[in-house]
Amino acid sequence: MSLQSVNGAVGGGGNGTAGRHKVPRLRLSMLAVVATALFASLFARLYDLQVVGSSDYQVQAEANRVRTVQVPAPRGRIVDRNGKVLVDNRVAVVVAIDRNVFGDLAEAEQAALLQRLTGELTAAGQVITPEEVTERLRDQRYSRYAPVPVATDVPEDLKIYLEEHAAEFPSVVVERTPVREYPYGNLAAHILGYVGKINDDELAFVEASDDTAKPYALNDEIGKTGVERTYERYLRGTPGVRRIEVDAEGDPVRVISEREPRPGDDLVLSIDIDLQAVAEQALQQGLADARARPPNRDNPPNNATTGAVVVEDPNNGQLLALASYPTYDPTAFVDGIDANEWAYLNDPANHYPLNNWAIQGQWAPGSTYKLFMGYAALHSGLMAPDTIFYDGGGYLIPGCTGLKCYRSNAGGAAHGAVNISEALTVSSDAFFYNVGAQFWLQRERFGDEGLQGYLAPWGVGEETGVALTGERPGRIAGPTWKREYNEPIGGDTVWRTGDSVNVGVGQGDVLVTPLQLANGYATFANGGTRYVPQVALRAQTYRTGDVTQEFAPEAAGRVEIAPQERQALLDGLANVPVRGTAAGAFAGFPLEDFPIAGKTGTAQVDNKADTALFSAFGPVNAPRYQVTAVLEESGFGATSAAPVVRRVFEVLAGVTPRPVAGPNGLPVNPEGGGLVGGGGAGYD
Amino acid sequence: MARGALDLRRAPARGLSGTRALGRRRRDDSWFHPRAPAAWKHVDLVLLGCALSVSALGALMILSSTRGTDPDAYDPSYLRRQVLFIGIGMAGMVAVTLVDYRRLRDFAWLPYVAVLFILGLVLSPLGTEQRGTQAWFQLGAFQLQPAELAKVVTVFALAALFARFEPPLPARRLAVGLALCGLPVGLILAQPDLGTALVFVAIVTGMVFVGGARMRHIVVLTAFGVIAVIGVLNSDLLEDYQRDRLTEFLEQDQGLVTAETYNLDQSKAAIASGGTSGKGLFEGTQTRLGFVPEQHTDFIFTALGEELGFAGSATLLALFALMCLRILRTAQIAHDRLGTLICAGVLSMLVFQVFQNVGMTMGIMPITGITLPFMSYGGSSVVASWLAVGLVLNVHMRRFG
Repeated sequence: MSLQSVNGAVGGGGNGTAGRHKVPRLRLSMLAVVATALFASLFARLYDLQVVGSSDYQVQAEANRVRTVQVPAPRGRIVDRNGKVLVDNRVAVVVAIDRNVFGDLAEAEQAALLQRLTGELTAAGQVITPEEVTERLRDQRYSRYAPVPVATDVPEDLKIYLEEHAAEFPSVVVERTPVREYPYGNLAAHILGYVGKINDDELAFVEASDDTAKPYALNDEIGKTGVERTYERYLRGTPGVRRIEVDAEGDPVRVISEREPRPGDDLVLSIDIDLQAVAEQALQQGLADARARPPNRDNPPNNATTGAVVVEDPNNGQLLALASYPTYDPTAFVDGIDANEWAYLNDPANHYPLNNWAIQGQWAPGSTYKLFMGYAALHSGLMAPDTIFYDGGGYLIPGCTGLKCYRSNAGGAAHGAVNISEALTVSSDAFFYNVGAQFWLQRERFGDEGLQGYLAPWGVGEETGVALTGERPGRIAGPTWKREYNEPIGGDTVWRTGDSVNVGVGQGDVLVTPLQLANGYATFANGGTRYVPQVALRAQTYRTGDVTQEFAPEAAGRVEIAPQERQALLDGLANVPVRGTAAGAFAGFPLEDFPIAGKTGTAQVDNKADTALFSAFGPVNAPRYQVTAVLEESGFGATSAAPVVRRVFEVLAGVTPRPVAGPNGLPVNPEGGGLVGGGGAGYD
Repeated sequence: MARGALDLRRAPARGLSGTRALGRRRRDDSWFHPRAPAAWKHVDLVLLGCALSVSALGALMILSSTRGTDPDAYDPSYLRRQVLFIGIGMAGMVAVTLVDYRRLRDFAWLPYVAVLFILGLVLSPLGTEQRGTQAWFQLGAFQLQPAELAKVVTVFALAALFARFEPPLPARRLAVGLALCGLPVGLILAQPDLGTALVFVAIVTGMVFVGGARMRHIVVLTAFGVIAVIGVLNSDLLEDYQRDRLTEFLEQDQGLVTAETYNLDQSKAAIASGGTSGKGLFEGTQTRLGFVPEQHTDFIFTALGEELGFAGSATLLALFALMCLRILRTAQIAHDRLGTLICAGVLSMLVFQVFQNVGMTMGIMPITGITLPFMSYGGSSVVASWLAVGLVLNVHMRRFG
């Protein structure tokens, strides 16, 4: 009790209890213990939060304050192999609504504003309803820190009107944004493709991908078809990033950092736009001519609905032109296509102008298939180059017991004794009926799929791999295919000799796309290397042109062909324009200066006019160009397709001056170009 | 004996003559008030220094949490007023220490009755309601919160009551004491201000305990208190939002983002993101951008935690702990039971408020409206804190009689 005694000593003499009290030391100590425990728990928790668990909360605090806004970057341009700009950017006016300001308006004001704004937009050709705008404004996927776009590419006078009456349109913002422009109109539309606002599926897809260098925001443009889509990753610009600090209300306080948007790379195509114009025009003309002709035999009239032309460099697979008919104007897709146009483009009556028929169209190849059949006959050892077959104008299928056991030649003409070269030149059906039949009859020797095994290396039963959208695989008909195709639908699953006979002349169930056919002939032209058809040469920096990515020719496979085999087939094809089936089409063409080898094809289609085909390459001894034309419902290949190919070759050979393409492909200067003699410049 | 020697080294109190004391006074005169009463020599400078340091830190954090994002638009009135409040509080502290607390004992009823009166008055239309609590008088540009002052007044009143009796405390006196505390609590709950009411519970608990209540009474009271709390939480007496606020801290970190957890999430994010050394003065993003609600008042600790980190906030807790230690020490060495009980009351108040306030910002206590003494913005709270320190200093400097 020392404290007590001290108090007593020094405090003595006080009144009452003062100075003599008994200090409740135990209870004070207990109070101290409680206090100590409470402080200790505070320290422990503080340590736990600030020292142990700090980093998680730092992330949370950072996420609280930083918002990221994307600034769209212009897409790269698309230019042809000679640097002519096919797709450019132009500045368009965007009408947008600032949600922060809009939200401060009274409800009646909001309704009146939307009513008036949509009225003005609709009057200016941008049809939109107040409900659509309201829905957009409610879409939380739009950034809070950028105005929500309502209409893109509004006319300049509406922009001026809105700016002059800004006070009457609170929260309405007029901005500028780059949009696609097509100096050549609808020319090469199927190759270029079009762009559009990213849709939910695409957004989900790109958000799930690992490639985050060029992130997408809602309303961003993305390539939908053609090279716009397949080369999206080069064409797309790198969006600018603005990091904004916001306060607790979410109001922006300041810009923390800003990265300027960087335009996408320019894409250099292998296409020559002038040649593309030639090809498209030749195709249109060919189809028009075909419509004017009577149909073959008792067929329905030549409707000449669709067609395609392919111009390829056989030495590397580069496509110089790729025409598809009917076509469309990609400009219609800038700022979103309107419903009527969309309906037109998807109406079957209009034969799907959006389809790239050069890769999406699948037709029976008819006699153009005989090149590949000839290879099968020679390379398998079934025949030698000098093996003679007697063409009596038809072919009786061996062992056949049905009604259709005799197949006559198209046109019924008898060609007499022919070797394989001659059979190609005159397009002897009987010869190739026999080839087809023999492969199946001698299946002990060649196998059930023996014939198909010699056709596949030409790439006529699978996608070529061209970097364009929607390519179809074609079909090599064979026993396995027939069984697998017909079994589920309860059809005939048995492969018969007659089926092989059909394959022999590219009929029956055989299908190719124009590009497959062209690429097969290009493979033959270069001696057996099958390239992946190439549509783009390189990506290079926007405007400055430093190459960022070179697209080298890529071999997809090789066809083993002996020199004497190739020579026999080549001889046959080279005579086609001289004295064979295409002699008429090439009358007057300087074949001695620019020899061309090719093959006509006329494929029969049930209840329709014949498909006209012609595939050719030249010059024969050092082929630089492969040109293929396919015209649906157009009659004979020799009369409808071959002239189209000839028209292209005239330009390639310098027979007619090379036109300079203008908008929509119409040569603005038919006399110009100055390309004379010698066979064209610089497509290799 | 050691303790005697210690106390003899310190000069005896007023009225005691002796050559040692005189000699001592002469030496001291060279650096301390020459004419001051002797008691001034025994002022607890450590306690005073701690209170001053915490006040200064509080003012700094109020500056930080109210300066906002735009330096040009800064409203300095919060800082100016807080400095003024600290000045008023310190003047009040000096006033409280001027008169011997023993002389004040007989008049303890006077401020108590006065404070009851104004607690009643604040419930009348004269009072002002903010966020559903009728707790303020609007006096021109200033606001007075009588409940804050009532805490100190009640400490003194209870001390005066319990000091009349030697332990063990008779049951009847205990009941009077509880009633003495219950009256202001009832009026405060009518505002309603649960946080401040709980401080009274802490005060009366500490003082009943130190005042010498029988253990069986304490056990019965504790049991009654626990039953009451459970009963209230499960009854209809509380609005749903009040109950949610009290229990939400038990459900933190479960990934739920509700209006109820927003405060706590932001508060914890502010403190924890400060890390070991903090983001730097005025550099706290949670603070600068206003993510923590009520930051300059009840959540002032979060500004300190974010900007000065563990180093700063642990220092603050250490300062509070040191204050508690000095108050405890004063309770032990007080001249009489009155002094001991005053210190016990102030200690209970301080410990509870610091634990409750800092604890709620870190999610170990429910969120109730309660200020951090000396730190939080607000005149009534600051003045009440300084008055409480004044009472302890009064006891301390007159410990020799």
